[in-house]
Amino acid sequence: MQWLDAIIQGVLLGGMYAQYALGMALMFGVMRIVNIAHGDVMILLSLTVITLAGVLPLGNIGLIVVIVPIAVLLGWVLQKFILNKVVGADPLPSLIATFGLSIALQNLMLEVWSADTRSLPNSGIASASFELGGIYMGVLPVLVLICAIVLTFGLDMVLRTSRFGRGLRAAAADTEAAAMTGVDPKRIYAIATAIAVGILGLAAVFAALRATVSPSDGSAQLIYAFEAVIIGGMGSLWGAFLGAMVLGVAQAIGLRIDPGLGILFGHLVFLAVLATRPEGIMARKK
Amino acid sequence: MTQPFQHARVQRATPSSRIAMSLCVIVLVGLVTMPWWASSGNIRWAIELSCYLAIAQMWNLLAGYAGLVSVGQQAFIGVAGYMLFVLAQNFGVNPFVAVILSLIAPAVLAVPTYLLLRRLDGPYFAIGTWVVAEAVRLATSNIDYLNAGAGLTLRVMTQYSQHEREVAFVILCALLLVATIGGSYWLLRSRIGLALTAMRDNPVAAASQGVNVGRLRFAIFIAAAVGTGFAGAIYYMAQLRITPAAGFDPFWASMSIFIVMVGGIGAIEGAIVGALIYFFADRLFGEYGSAYLIVLGLLTLIIALYARGGVWGLLQKLGDHPWFPVQRKLVLEDKR
Repeated sequence: MQWLDAIIQGVLLGGMYAQYALGMALMFGVMRIVNIAHGDVMILLSLTVITLAGVLPLGNIGLIVVIVPIAVLLGWVLQKFILNKVVGADPLPSLIATFGLSIALQNLMLEVWSADTRSLPNSGIASASFELGGIYMGVLPVLVLICAIVLTFGLDMVLRTSRFGRGLRAAAADTEAAAMTGVDPKRIYAIATAIAVGILGLAAVFAALRATVSPSDGSAQLIYAFEAVIIGGMGSLWGAFLGAMVLGVAQAIGLRIDPGLGILFGHLVFLAVLATRPEGIMARKK
Repeated sequence: MTQPFQHARVQRATPSSRIAMSLCVIVLVGLVTMPWWASSGNIRWAIELSCYLAIAQMWNLLAGYAGLVSVGQQAFIGVAGYMLFVLAQNFGVNPFVAVILSLIAPAVLAVPTYLLLRRLDGPYFAIGTWVVAEAVRLATSNIDYLNAGAGLTLRVMTQYSQHEREVAFVILCALLLVATIGGSYWLLRSRIGLALTAMRDNPVAAASQGVNVGRLRFAIFIAAAVGTGFAGAIYYMAQLRITPAAGFDPFWASMSIFIVMVGGIGAIEGAIVGALIYFFADRLFGEYGSAYLIVLGLLTLIIALYARGGVWGLLQKLGDHPWFPVQRKLVLEDKR
């Protein structure tokens, strides 16, 4: 029972990681770049939400409605002024540029919000729970997981069926050929990053409700998103989702064995997957 | 047909490189004699600067030539430091001998790390190295033998007088600089250097010319791990204390990236210029804390976007005066 509980809590934790990982999988899939500031952007949005909640009389839904458009805009600006300049076959410029951005953002947040941990005021939902077959589940984590499933499903549908999705898949397969057939890669990139950061806006509200956030938390979130993407299989959205579940379960089980082992177990599962099934558990056969 | 030229020779040294070489010898002699003319504070600074120079040069070799961007070099700093502390403190090995023996640890860690991570695409490789460093840090914090999160202290150093310690440190630092900077210079001037330079410019084209890119990358990864570990062992021996949070601090990676990018990636001189800039900037502005780091971050971002050659790249536009020339120049002498 104790282990079943750990697995269920792990899956619920995975819902949070899936929200970080989706955007990363999308951006890597289309541009072959990793935004090292991914986690820091999420923390920035979280801290902004917390400050907004102190000023504006908005409920949690209201906060989501306000922060997601801000996040989308932030993603667009990030793409337009930084990432578009470093997209290319060489991974070095994009890595270094976003690494610099990450250091600058972390320390900017330290200046503005100090190193204190903060969270959104408890509105009841964060502590509400229900019992199912002897196992207690928080309402909020279940909501996070449902949101992650809906987002993965929706994004996957958009990529499969919409005009934008076709353009994105074309640009991912061969940028130049896609450009010749009338797809504007820069526009596709901008939309992809806007979606990725937009999802982070939603994740930011959940993160601030679920636990505390502080300016230096971003790197850990980046690493979890990355591990989820690799465990699942690069370039697949459902892979990233499944990878997030595996990571969440690994961390929850490690945590039950010893409080100091939770995150380490996640890393070890990641390394084990890399050693035994480097294409990821969901990768399509070539 | 007339003979186009009579004599041809390959020129490998330039006037600027002869000056630089003499300067290097003077600096090394100055460094080794420091205990007899400099204050303890200055010697500590020299140790720190030597470590920065070495770590940055190793990162330059990795990212600038082998195309392996790592943000997890702190893993090698930490394991070498810990191995030194365990050998000297728990096994009673002479600490100055233990520094050399502790280089086994980064080499041993680098092999599985590379073999696992080489499967990852460029940017993912970078974050993979970070995960390895984090995993090693967390594992270290959970091992009671290593005093878990509280870290180790090098008490055996008290058996040496301050002068003895300082003499040993400056000799170790001189060895470190010769091994990392001198080693890089020697490597880049050799046959392997040609392959590395070709790889830096275009790995696919280099492979088509017969360069075994995979094997060369593997070798460079291990060499860089050992060089970085050497600096780490010296640094923490001078600190007399190591904890998982300090030894495996991701800030080591940030520092190497900052130094090499600002100085100029893909040039030995760049890493040296960058290390000097960082060292003095840290002395002057370090007290401003996060505001100073915001500037460092933004500077790195701006250089990645607009001036990939860094300061050394800008200097070279003014005139080609390499300190460490690695190119071969054909000089034709017409004796008619």
